[in-house]
Amino acid sequence: MIVVRDVSYAYEPGRQVLDSVSLSIGDGELVALIGENGAGKTTLVKHFNGLLKPQRGTVTVDGTDTREATVATLARKVGLVFQNPDHQLFAETVEKELSFALANFGVPAGEASRRVEWALEAFELGEYRNRSPLTLSGGERKRLALASVLCYDPQIIVMDEPTTGQDSRQKSRLASLLTRLNDSGKTVITVTHDMEFVAEFIPRTIIMSRGKVLADGRSADLLVNRAYLESASLLPPQLAEISWELGLAEPSIDLEAVVNAVRGARR
Amino acid sequence: MKTLQGFGYRRGTSAVHRLDPRSKMIYVLLFAALAVYFANLLVLLLIFASSLPLVALGKVSDRWSRSIRGSLFFIVFIFTFNFIAMIFMSYPLLDAALSGISMSLRFITLISVFSAFFLTTSPEDLAQSMVQLRVPYDYALTFNMAMRFVPTLSREAQIIIDAQRSRGLELEKGSLIQRVKNYVPILIPLIISSFRRAELVADAMESRAFGASKKRCPLYVLTLRGGDYAFIAVTVVSFLLILSLRFVLGVP
Amino acid sequence: MVIGLALIEVRGVSYSYPDSPSPCLIDVSFSAEEGEFILVTGPSGCGKTTFCKCLNGLIPNSYGGSFTGDVLIDGIPTTSSPIHEIARRAGLVFQNPENELFCTSVEREVAFGPENLALPREEIRRRVSEALSTVGISHLMHKSPEELSGGEQQKVAIAALLAMKPKVLVLDEPTANLDPVSAKSVISVLSRLNASGVTIIIVEHRLEMLAEIASRCMILDCGRIALDGSPREVLYSDLAERIGVGIPKAIVVAKRLGRGLPGDRPLSSRELASALRRGEAA
Repeated sequence: MIVVRDVSYAYEPGRQVLDSVSLSIGDGELVALIGENGAGKTTLVKHFNGLLKPQRGTVTVDGTDTREATVATLARKVGLVFQNPDHQLFAETVEKELSFALANFGVPAGEASRRVEWALEAFELGEYRNRSPLTLSGGERKRLALASVLCYDPQIIVMDEPTTGQDSRQKSRLASLLTRLNDSGKTVITVTHDMEFVAEFIPRTIIMSRGKVLADGRSADLLVNRAYLESASLLPPQLAEISWELGLAEPSIDLEAVVNAVRGARR
Repeated sequence: MKTLQGFGYRRGTSAVHRLDPRSKMIYVLLFAALAVYFANLLVLLLIFASSLPLVALGKVSDRWSRSIRGSLFFIVFIFTFNFIAMIFMSYPLLDAALSGISMSLRFITLISVFSAFFLTTSPEDLAQSMVQLRVPYDYALTFNMAMRFVPTLSREAQIIIDAQRSRGLELEKGSLIQRVKNYVPILIPLIISSFRRAELVADAMESRAFGASKKRCPLYVLTLRGGDYAFIAVTVVSFLLILSLRFVLGVP
Repeated sequence: MVIGLALIEVRGVSYSYPDSPSPCLIDVSFSAEEGEFILVTGPSGCGKTTFCKCLNGLIPNSYGGSFTGDVLIDGIPTTSSPIHEIARRAGLVFQNPENELFCTSVEREVAFGPENLALPREEIRRRVSEALSTVGISHLMHKSPEELSGGEQQKVAIAALLAMKPKVLVLDEPTANLDPVSAKSVISVLSRLNASGVTIIIVEHRLEMLAEIASRCMILDCGRIALDGSPREVLYSDLAERIGVGIPKAIVVAKRLGRGLPGDRPLSSRELASALRRGEAA
């Protein structure tokens, strides 16, 4: 459970990046944090694992105030997957890369190797076990970076722009991974500006704009709301645009709903 | 990271920014030489002070101070090392301490002088001045690129540190040896990323016909103006005055 | 009628990178005429980036590896000409502007290409201001690329290439790192450029933004050209669906509503709406 209360943050005086942000994310939720570049999304999620401490306001993770905990302690609960895997990968072999976080958290050897085996299998990296991460393709490196964070089993998973540069097949695989994680009780937060991905796979959306939370609710409601989208300088998901263009009574981001609505209207 | 920030050029319009890089180079060379030559605390302070008006006029005091603060670690290291070495060689405590301080001051002075230069000189102008000084264009360009990517590297290093800390890496933990090892997960991605970037930038440059002609025609050519001559004159005179302290006052 | 060479001729090109045993491109042949706007897409790893690099001479000249076949840009073969000869005819824009822009001011960035070509100073100045105004960023001339947003940086990259007056502009996922609004802005610049005569070849995943603008669509899969035709033909085909590219939702909806026969292939929500209205009136 993450509770953000009235948080403000500026990197430099005069450049306010977060302005009195308040929100809460409960256990087991699947949430998208969207907004244009510079809205403050990445800055906000860096508060979740303590990389940044709020200058005003508080952030509590499972009851712990982030200002009173180290990044290492918070990172145990909140796994943050960065956008570019090449900013993380450094080990001699894939296997060592996966055990890095486990070693840092002092996970006992037996448990650690179990988790590494799990990650190698779950992410289809088994055949690369002894290879250098550098020899993997771009997509495989992204999988490895994700695997190395999920490997130590954090309760909350935050992913920064996970869909950049991915084709549709990879995005569907990612989506089913997120859903599986969520089904098993994990809290999953994706920071993204990929409206299509959010519309199709993520039930709750928080819209940020210029350092503030503009809207917070069901994706199905927010992503068809022209006012919110324009205000946040976001483009609507394609199905929303189609709904408006076709003059549907109830605009929707769901393919079936749109198709049925059109069929219904013609009868 | 903070140290690196003291060397990243930012666009500016101050008088110092507008000085020809060659004039500023004369300043750097002469005063860096003085800093290395003298060990006397007062003279070193004087040399250090010479960079301050440049920093102030150039309006770069913010980033300059960050680089000074960032080099605190090195300063402490230099002081300690010198101090211990002198004690070892049986010098009296006071002498050892003064030696340590003067070494540290020398270091800060050098950082300050170079920082004042790099903060107010654009990489292109520097490259152009080198070309006009008959340095082959390729070398000048290499220098240009190195300077231009300092802020990028600095940013990237910060991201990598954040990413690895998010996996539980604690940089400040453990013995001295452990702390050095802690930086391996930071340095490797940084170095690899730099290699990758080098390839990408090379591609981008080739895509803009780099190497098309032996004779490039630069958009801007540097010319020395009144202000430059005045600056050079002041620099040379100050240099001679400080140098004369060696002989006049017998100052080491 | 005189039949001359097309602007771009690619004949039977196969290529493998130096340290890779498996080929990245297999027997690729295609040609492009002046004025076309070609959208290229395909799943990750299909060879799109390699394809782009073949078009401006980086492959094979900078990368080595094993290259067979011919690529002729404006009649000039890439295998036997230096990169700078090709690059001035086919400008290549990359994905990440941070690695593309290496000067400290936009003006110098855009001047870099013409400077390399040893053009007279007046000409350089003229080209710089022309390129900046064509792309609509004259007001950014004295800014440092660091101060710009991603979308503005990509526009600078485009201007920097335009200053060399290339006949064709090749773009490799130029909007990959941009948010949707910036992406749209960059694409509208490209559309304007094409209207003024610049041939455009763009690799993209965001097909919905380009479906209506492109005059031609190519889908690469596993190193080969799987489909090549008008956007309507290609994006409505079953093969495109099977390969797994991001088919625009308007097309998905249209197909579900039973449309998709020749003559009835809307590419956007606007076209879909008019098609439906016409259907009702009939």
